[in-house]
Amino acid sequence: MIWTRPRDPESLPARLHRRRIYVLPTRFGMFYALLLFTMLLGALNYNNNPALLLGLMLAGAGLASLVAAQMQLSGLELVTVDAEPVAAGAPLSVRLHARAAPGRARRGLRLDDDGSFSASPGILNLERGTGEGQLLLPTQQRGWFDLPKLRLSTTRPLGLARAWAYVWPESPLLVYPAPEADGPPLPAGHGDRVQARVNPSGDDVHHLRAYRSGDARRTIAWKPSARRDTLLVREFEQPIGAEIVLDWRETAGIGYEARIARLARWIDDAEREGRRYQLRLPGHAALGPDRGTQHRHACLRALALMPHG
Amino acid sequence: MADPTLPALDPRSRRWVLLSAGACLLPLLLQLPAQIAVTIGASALAVAALSWRQPVHGLLRLLLSLVLIAVVLGMSGFSIGRDTGCALLAAMLAIKPSETFSLRDARSLLGFALFAPFATFLLDQGPLSLALGLTATLLALAALMLLADIESGDVRRDASPWQRMAGTGRLLALGLPVALAAFWLFPRLSSPLWGVPERAMGRPGLSDRMSPGDWIELLDDDRPALRARFFSDMPRPQQMYWRGPVMWDFDGRTWTQPRWTAGWSETAIERSPQRWDYEIELEPTDRRQLVALDLPVAAPEGSELDPDQSLKSHTPLTGISRWRMQSAVPVRYQAALPGQLRQYALQLPAGYNPRTVGLARQWRQEAGPLADGEIVDRALAWIRRDFAYTLDTPLLGRNSVDEFLFDQRAGFCEHFSSSFVVLMRAAGIPARVVTGYTGGYRNKVGGYWLVRRSDAHAWAEVWLRGRGWVRVDPTAAVAPERIYDTLQDRLPGADLAGGRSLLDFGDWMRSGWNDFVLGFDAQRQQRLLRPLGIDRIDDRTLVLLLMLAIALGLLWMFWFSRRNEREPDPVLRAWHALARRYRHLGLERYPDEPAGRWVQRVAAARPELAAQLQELSQRFSDWRYAEGEPGGRSTRALTQALRAHRPSARNGSPSSRIPGERR
Repeated sequence: MIWTRPRDPESLPARLHRRRIYVLPTRFGMFYALLLFTMLLGALNYNNNPALLLGLMLAGAGLASLVAAQMQLSGLELVTVDAEPVAAGAPLSVRLHARAAPGRARRGLRLDDDGSFSASPGILNLERGTGEGQLLLPTQQRGWFDLPKLRLSTTRPLGLARAWAYVWPESPLLVYPAPEADGPPLPAGHGDRVQARVNPSGDDVHHLRAYRSGDARRTIAWKPSARRDTLLVREFEQPIGAEIVLDWRETAGIGYEARIARLARWIDDAEREGRRYQLRLPGHAALGPDRGTQHRHACLRALALMPHG
Repeated sequence: MADPTLPALDPRSRRWVLLSAGACLLPLLLQLPAQIAVTIGASALAVAALSWRQPVHGLLRLLLSLVLIAVVLGMSGFSIGRDTGCALLAAMLAIKPSETFSLRDARSLLGFALFAPFATFLLDQGPLSLALGLTATLLALAALMLLADIESGDVRRDASPWQRMAGTGRLLALGLPVALAAFWLFPRLSSPLWGVPERAMGRPGLSDRMSPGDWIELLDDDRPALRARFFSDMPRPQQMYWRGPVMWDFDGRTWTQPRWTAGWSETAIERSPQRWDYEIELEPTDRRQLVALDLPVAAPEGSELDPDQSLKSHTPLTGISRWRMQSAVPVRYQAALPGQLRQYALQLPAGYNPRTVGLARQWRQEAGPLADGEIVDRALAWIRRDFAYTLDTPLLGRNSVDEFLFDQRAGFCEHFSSSFVVLMRAAGIPARVVTGYTGGYRNKVGGYWLVRRSDAHAWAEVWLRGRGWVRVDPTAAVAPERIYDTLQDRLPGADLAGGRSLLDFGDWMRSGWNDFVLGFDAQRQQRLLRPLGIDRIDDRTLVLLLMLAIALGLLWMFWFSRRNEREPDPVLRAWHALARRYRHLGLERYPDEPAGRWVQRVAAARPELAAQLQELSQRFSDWRYAEGEPGGRSTRALTQALRAHRPSARNGSPSSRIPGERR
């Protein structure tokens, strides 16, 4: 079953059959056609054979370029789609892997969406039959992110026509919850050491360090920052090794999504401070205590997939 | 789909675009009048230099454009037509680079630049124009390719201009079958849609007027005027009078053609049985006048005969044209001359050339009223005795005929014919001036006759009782060798050994090009299938043939583009084809399905096919993944076996013919 335009997401690998490829003249192509029409009319009127032959050759080259544009895409196969998960609100960088028979050069294929998302387009180049392209898609909410219809297009070889085809990969990507921008610090750990009492206005600042994205706003040291012309953050002495329990129940009192956002921030904070943490979510076995990338991903994934309340 | 926002051009690409546009402009400039061409060329260079780094300010640009357009219009005399249009196009191309800084600008510049070679071909179809125009077109397309590369965000810096030219050439080659099919099959217009202007620059050929002394340049012009191919016996060179415009009206200085109105009766002509059957190929003149051997039997299609048997085409000859004709020597040509015409052929401007008129009257009195022939002979004898041929003539005054006959007594064909006709008319013999070409040069390579512009000639026709119009060539009485091209020194380089045949060969090549491309028109199109026994093609058939040819051409395009994608390995190809043959059974192998699993699936559905398919897939797997086939059987045998396996749709055993298969 071959359709021109996918109506439903399709499983990969998806092959771009030639019937899935649209070819339409660009604006410049229209101009070129008008030019040729004028030429041919004039040549026929004056019965001027060299001029006629020239016009017809240009028309032939134009036709051949339509075929060549279509050939750039036809037979291309999308193998996989993947993306590093990002927090909601950050652009998701989607990587597409494609392959094709290595008979033709397929380079400079523009990769974007069908216009419903404001994606920043990327370029797909195939070298010796394989290649990958990237495009950035904006994200809004946590959870499974269904890819929009993606569009591969090219105006090569002459820019007279654009050939394009839609693919709609059925590979949902995960978007993590956006961490809360500002909120209470990490809950107290329990272990062999007690965490130093946090007092943002006090003098028990361990040291100042440069701002890193994700730092809570209230930790920013405004006065020193103004003196140094760069954002500085107060870092409090954190006893290493104290395990933290991040419990869903402890975040009660704020909205459902806000609780998720707070936990997401705590996870990031804990990671940044290199502490071990455990995440307890309702209807979920406790994750951890552990630390490191894998653990972080597991926790954020669990948060991202919390039912929408 | 809207174009994405188009980026600015980097300087290197911009230089390429400007260079291509310049290449397109060059052949057009060569065709424009010198002063216009120089003006535009200088402006183009100035604009390119001014805008080398940054765009020229809008106001300055507007001013430049206005000034240049005004200057060009002024130089071409404010006449709006094809030539002025071409000049304006060139001017626009010269100014446009001043604002070409983005991809879109560059594209529109190249689009207009592509128009320039076309305009060049409208003005001239010589080999130089064609070569330059074609090169420029290739360059412009290559520049378009570069722009498309920039747009795709993948500019291969290592791609040399030659590679792009090659890519362009490939596209042109792919499109060529369609282009050629359309060239020969697209229905041609037998009459133009809009008026075809006279070329302002004038290519002096045979003029429709003649003032004695003004042909000096023409007689020095060795460019071809026409080529003739005979399908029958050839006339002797002395009989080769290519009859063109016939002049009746004389104002004392200039001979002009009459404006014939309808209503003249048919001219009665008795012809000798000998027919000259030939085809002439006329170089473009932008005029309607045709020439034919004295005298044409009938007007060929697309032309008409005046009452004085002068041939005119229905449309100006803007390109090479070919005419298939028959001529025959007249025995009696209009033996009964209507009184009106007789009066016309005796008219002389009053008060001019008194000495000539006096002499003619004296001759008439001496000869008697009926002895027209004697007067003609007497005039010819006088010319033969006392006159000389020279191209070095002074300007003649008011009484040009008197001065020539009584003072100079030396001149060339214009003087002789003009004076002779005036003398005859003054003696009461109806006479007229005929211009055209005489003689010709036999090109031995191509087997045709070449007539050059320098073969232009003027002679006289006088009307004699009982015989009608008779051709009299007073110049031939003085210098026959000047007329019939028996002099070999007309050709430059003829004294070199082999130079002559080389020139012959060159002209023959050009004639072949004319034959093959330039001369193709509606009439020849209708005769396209004559070799196949189809006499004429009507437009509907043409369109059908065209559709068919274009479809074939498109198929060729796809096939050719796909060819390099075919699986190069014959065994793999055969294996894939075998899997596809199971499609109509609904058992096609999935692309990602291993051979073994597929065979199991087939075996479950169609057990009778299993054994053979099992064996084939085993052999294929061995060939593909093990060290070749066991038993050392060749790749070729495996390929054949794979190809021979055909699953039948009926529940029967698979048909399989395996040649050379021994188990």
